[in-house]
Amino acid sequence: MVSPLSLLYYTVHPQELRSIIQWKVWHNPVHERNEREEPESLKRCFFFLDMTSRSFSAVIKELHPELLVPVCLFYLILRGLDTIEDDMTIPLEKKEPILRDFDNIIEKDGWTFNDNGPNEKDRQLLVEFNVVVEHFKKIKPAYQVIIKDITKRMGNGMADYCNNAEFNVNGVDTVADYELYCHYVAGLVGEGCTRLFVEAGLANPALLKRPELMESMGQFLQQVNIIRDIKEDLDDKRRFWPKEIWSKHVTNFEDLFKPENKQLALDCSSEMILTALTRADDCLYYLAGLKEQSVFNFCAIPQSMAVATLDVCFQNHDIFKKNVKITKGAACQLMVESTQNLRLVCDVFKKYVRSIHQKNNPHDPNFLKISIACGKVEQFIESIFPSQEKPKDLKSPATAEAAEKVKLEKQESRWDMIYMGLAVAITLLIITGSMLFVAWMAGARFDIAFTQAKSELGALFGSVQGGIEDVSDASGHSEL
Amino acid sequence: MESLKVLVTGGTGFLGSEIVKALVQAKNYEVTAVDINPPALGTSTFADVRYVRANILHPEELAKVFKEAKPAIVIHAVGVYPLGLARYSPKGKEAVFAVNVEGTKNVIEAAKDCGATGLVYTSSITVLVDEIDADFANADETWPTGRAKLVYGQSKTIAENLVLAANTTDFLTCSLRPATIFGPGDPACIPTIHSCIAKMESPIILGTGTNLCDFAYVSNVADAHVLAVRNLLNSGTAAGEAIFITNGEPIAVRDFCLALWKEFGHIPPFQLRIPEGLAWWLGVIVEGVGWAVGKQGTLSRGVVRDGTAVRYVSIAKARRLLGYKPRVGMTEALEISCAHYKRQIGGR
Repeated sequence: MVSPLSLLYYTVHPQELRSIIQWKVWHNPVHERNEREEPESLKRCFFFLDMTSRSFSAVIKELHPELLVPVCLFYLILRGLDTIEDDMTIPLEKKEPILRDFDNIIEKDGWTFNDNGPNEKDRQLLVEFNVVVEHFKKIKPAYQVIIKDITKRMGNGMADYCNNAEFNVNGVDTVADYELYCHYVAGLVGEGCTRLFVEAGLANPALLKRPELMESMGQFLQQVNIIRDIKEDLDDKRRFWPKEIWSKHVTNFEDLFKPENKQLALDCSSEMILTALTRADDCLYYLAGLKEQSVFNFCAIPQSMAVATLDVCFQNHDIFKKNVKITKGAACQLMVESTQNLRLVCDVFKKYVRSIHQKNNPHDPNFLKISIACGKVEQFIESIFPSQEKPKDLKSPATAEAAEKVKLEKQESRWDMIYMGLAVAITLLIITGSMLFVAWMAGARFDIAFTQAKSELGALFGSVQGGIEDVSDASGHSEL
Repeated sequence: MESLKVLVTGGTGFLGSEIVKALVQAKNYEVTAVDINPPALGTSTFADVRYVRANILHPEELAKVFKEAKPAIVIHAVGVYPLGLARYSPKGKEAVFAVNVEGTKNVIEAAKDCGATGLVYTSSITVLVDEIDADFANADETWPTGRAKLVYGQSKTIAENLVLAANTTDFLTCSLRPATIFGPGDPACIPTIHSCIAKMESPIILGTGTNLCDFAYVSNVADAHVLAVRNLLNSGTAAGEAIFITNGEPIAVRDFCLALWKEFGHIPPFQLRIPEGLAWWLGVIVEGVGWAVGKQGTLSRGVVRDGTAVRYVSIAKARRLLGYKPRVGMTEALEISCAHYKRQIGGR
């Protein structure tokens, strides 16, 4: 629905409106899903994908046919796991075994789960989870192994957190805990996706040898979400900002939200943003390892959105009051720019990192570190896409041999020029000559032409001379 | 293990004394520090380092000292640089060239004659960036030198070429090109930027204020020298090579200044941005007035370029060849250096 307010906004920001139109009208999916040949139960899976995911369903549905179903199911399985973990109405003794056993559950024909609370928005997925199980068992065994492994590790990680009373009361304690939490809920997804891409031959296998890169992909997205959702999570009585960071700025977590602590809260948020920002160059590095366009889009769009979100959250006190979002126009522009090539994605990162750099405040305790983190991203981008061309070496050569070589090269190029000129001259001469010869053979009278030309030329010079005499005569008369 | 003999020229200077310290800490080196000055008051000296006085402009003095010390490797860390506005002026060229070029020639000769197997030369990033008018975004060692327009960069380029040309199979040489060095006891970088506070120049931003530059903390640069010595004694892969040494943390010059001032409790109360084009013309005017009055102002075209240029390089080669890693990060490095400078000016 178009509200009058947004109408006004797009009148003042026509370039954003242009991006929306551009994306809606001109975007062609790299691969299109073949809906007609899908069985009913698979259609149901895609229905759940649309229902449960706002941002991911579009990119998943455009994936390469080889990975379309596996990634969709992977997403639904993790969403199912997440729905059980999130639901505070399920008692721990019931929740924990399900989480720990979820990798086996996904192989149990006809498994469904009806005990989610009525307010759980994704409960229907679990009520009809049998469709997911049905199709999971049909995908290639190699994909099943990967998805099962990740599900197992994530389920156990989540169960550990549910069991951790300290976490439930005080939230995340240290930065290490925070990154471990992000590892379970996002880093593992990064690993799973990467293994699927490589298995399908759509990404460089070298990505598996640099596990910190795929970890950063997940960490970056998750940390940005945690930063942006601070207020929403507080309202849901959850805390993901680690105590190790916020306790440097305020004594109680709730103090972050008090208006009088505005500056302290901002300082704290920029430390969180700094932690996320140090992952940005890894993400770009990772994207360079993707071979296939749809896989690239699938990974690049969320990353671009994340860096843009990081920028709107930076030095923005609104994050403590409401859910801050990037505008729809900006989002469409990001999608246009993230579905082409790495260079454009790098430009997106550069743009938002520079914007963060501009807003960096010298009063901020992490001023220097943020500045360095921004510089690092910029240098990384420069290393893969240099903006400057290396100047030519003009200096006198180091050794006598090299000097001799340069001299010879120069001489050679001069002779090349002379030969070229000679060749052109000779060619022209031959053509003119042969044309004259043909004309003569055909009976042209060059002798007459020559005398005629001579007399005409003579007449021309003669008339000019006469003209000059006339002028001097005229001036002579005027003296009278 | 038998300790290896290393001779450091300029061994009591700002960088030289740090190199001596790093060699001592690396344990297996027997160090001779040669300098025109004895160790300055307040700097650390080491009991097992031999301190010898010699002038690199006197070849016979050098020959004697080098033959006594019989070093396996010589580190040549002597250099003079014109400070302040003199940096942009051709005046004093002879003095700079004498020490930086002739002195280096003498050191190469003395090192070869005394039977040393290698020489590590302290060059400078200015061999590239003293071109002044150009930007250098993530430059590397394949970028050509020889375009420097300022005296200092020119002298370092010539000396570096001499050093690298002297590289043979039995006399290995390499040239390290540190970015602007700062640290405790730093005679140039920190005092210069600090002086802006008193002169009330801190609110002024030249250009965009976002241009990135490289800096190098002194102990990291000293580490690189020790690594280079080790390389020439072992694999020798660095022989004949020029290598950039920085902190690997390119930073906006403006931010470096702000962070430095902040260590002294100063944050500019407001900011005044002067576009680069305008600043350049102001530089011309100040230079002109300075010339007419016979007194130099703070601003000049050179200062404007130094403040607005993009000048950072890649240290991939140093990491690859030397295994170099900047041990002290920028944040910590600035804290240490400024705390030291605070004590220094407070003690006066």
